[in-house]
Amino acid sequence: MQRAAHTALYDWSQIVGPATIRQCLKCKAPARQSSRAYGVIPAPRDTDEREMLHRILRVDHAGEYGANRIYAGQMAVLGRSRTGPLIQEMWDQEKKHLEKFNEILAENRVRPTALLPLWNIAGFVLGASTALLGKEGAMACTVAVEESISEHYNSQIRALMEKDPERYTELLQIIKEFRDDEMDHHDTGLEHDAETLPGYWLLKNAIQLGCKAAIYVSQRV
Amino acid sequence: MAALLRGLRAGRAIRGLGSVVAAPTATTPQCRSLRRSFHCAALRLQDESKSDKPPSSSSTTYHEHYQAHTTEQYTTAASQGDSASDPAAEEASRPNTSYQDQSGEQGEEYETEEQLQARILTAALEFVPQHGWSMEAIAAGAETLGLSSASTGMFYNGAGDLVLHFIAQCNSQLTEILAEQHKQVQLGQAEPKKTADFLRDAVETRLRMYIPYIETWPQAMSILLLPHNIPDSLKHLSTLVDDIWYYAGDRSTDMNWYTKRAALTGIYNTTELVMVQDSSPDFQDTWNFLDNRIQDVVNMASTAKQVQSTGEAVVQGLMGAAVTLKNLTGVNQRR
Repeated sequence: MQRAAHTALYDWSQIVGPATIRQCLKCKAPARQSSRAYGVIPAPRDTDEREMLHRILRVDHAGEYGANRIYAGQMAVLGRSRTGPLIQEMWDQEKKHLEKFNEILAENRVRPTALLPLWNIAGFVLGASTALLGKEGAMACTVAVEESISEHYNSQIRALMEKDPERYTELLQIIKEFRDDEMDHHDTGLEHDAETLPGYWLLKNAIQLGCKAAIYVSQRV
Repeated sequence: MAALLRGLRAGRAIRGLGSVVAAPTATTPQCRSLRRSFHCAALRLQDESKSDKPPSSSSTTYHEHYQAHTTEQYTTAASQGDSASDPAAEEASRPNTSYQDQSGEQGEEYETEEQLQARILTAALEFVPQHGWSMEAIAAGAETLGLSSASTGMFYNGAGDLVLHFIAQCNSQLTEILAEQHKQVQLGQAEPKKTADFLRDAVETRLRMYIPYIETWPQAMSILLLPHNIPDSLKHLSTLVDDIWYYAGDRSTDMNWYTKRAALTGIYNTTELVMVQDSSPDFQDTWNFLDNRIQDVVNMASTAKQVQSTGEAVVQGLMGAAVTLKNLTGVNQRR
């Protein structure tokens, strides 16, 4: 029994040994990452950095929460129409984003914004009211919101890159991934006749103004 | 015989030489103590000038080392001041400080102003039962550390600084205890407590830290209510409540975050108020009050949940009724 275990271990080490050595020679920077204990954001060095990171996470969480509610509103009106499945697909991606941010906030003990109930109602009302304008209305709303969010993520990426790209690699990765998803939604909206809506320009700018105000406020409250 | 006489004369000459050497340093006792106090003042100035320099890399504190070193300096000064060679004493103890400066190892000896203030305030706590939360307590604390009572000039907020320091200390003690318990649970060496029990134990542990100062605690509470102290005391209260909920397992990221902390803040503040006028043995009335308040919150939470599920059921019922009505009136038919 012992001999069997011994030979099993011996075989295993034979298999694992050279492969792992080759792996370790290939990868150059695992040591630093493993010392960071699998967190998305690095442990803040001082209160200023902590404030900055918490603000970023708080507003991103609020953004994803609002986007969720907008799609929920759109689904409530257009759920049973032809565009239902399309909206559902985009909504599912937003749900994943929100889940990820919930995880990050809980892990890092970030305070969520106190305006969440407001974004809950406002998002739902925005989604439902634009969906009442028909499929083009819903798509126009999607285009406007996703454009705002992408712009916002881009400015966050710029800020983090300016500060210290290596320190914030994981956070940058996540924000870039989410920004790419939001750009996809934006393009989907354009593909599905968002611009054919009468008053498109007015609606788009109004929604974008509202998003800017929401972002400004959520960073602070 | 002649050799003996010669030896005696040589011995007298040597003793004479010795007295000649000792003459400049042989002083009256008063002069010696004056020189020693100048020497001590000079050392203190040196220390303070070092602490005024901008902080170097290390933020770690070497309190014990620093304290041991200063007491060592004073004891060497004291012991060698009594001997007949004061200059030698000054030279022997001064190399301790100049040597550090020259070697550039500032981290070992160096202490920031905040660390010094923290040390003074911690020392002042034992005089609080006697002098209350006031500058006198801080002055007494400074004196036990060997500093002059004029060092209270560092504290612009005075009693407020002392109370806030004490509260911060209690909070960090509580966080340590909670982290230790958390580790025990994660290692499987302890059972996780239910939320209500955990909250009760955490608040009780934290309030028990006030027991040695309970006589003067009303004064401390009124100091915390002064307008210039309110932001700091609120900050400490919010970090306390956040820590307790975090270790109780709260990971919510919605409005629950706010409602839970608000509830616990209410419980903590009211229990504190009950505690300062509680005269039962071991504050048993306070802990009973705490139990009841936590029970209230738990009941309210379960009532809220019940209301929500009832509401949902009602809405579903109404929707069903509306659909039935639409069917009955034929509105739902496709024409």
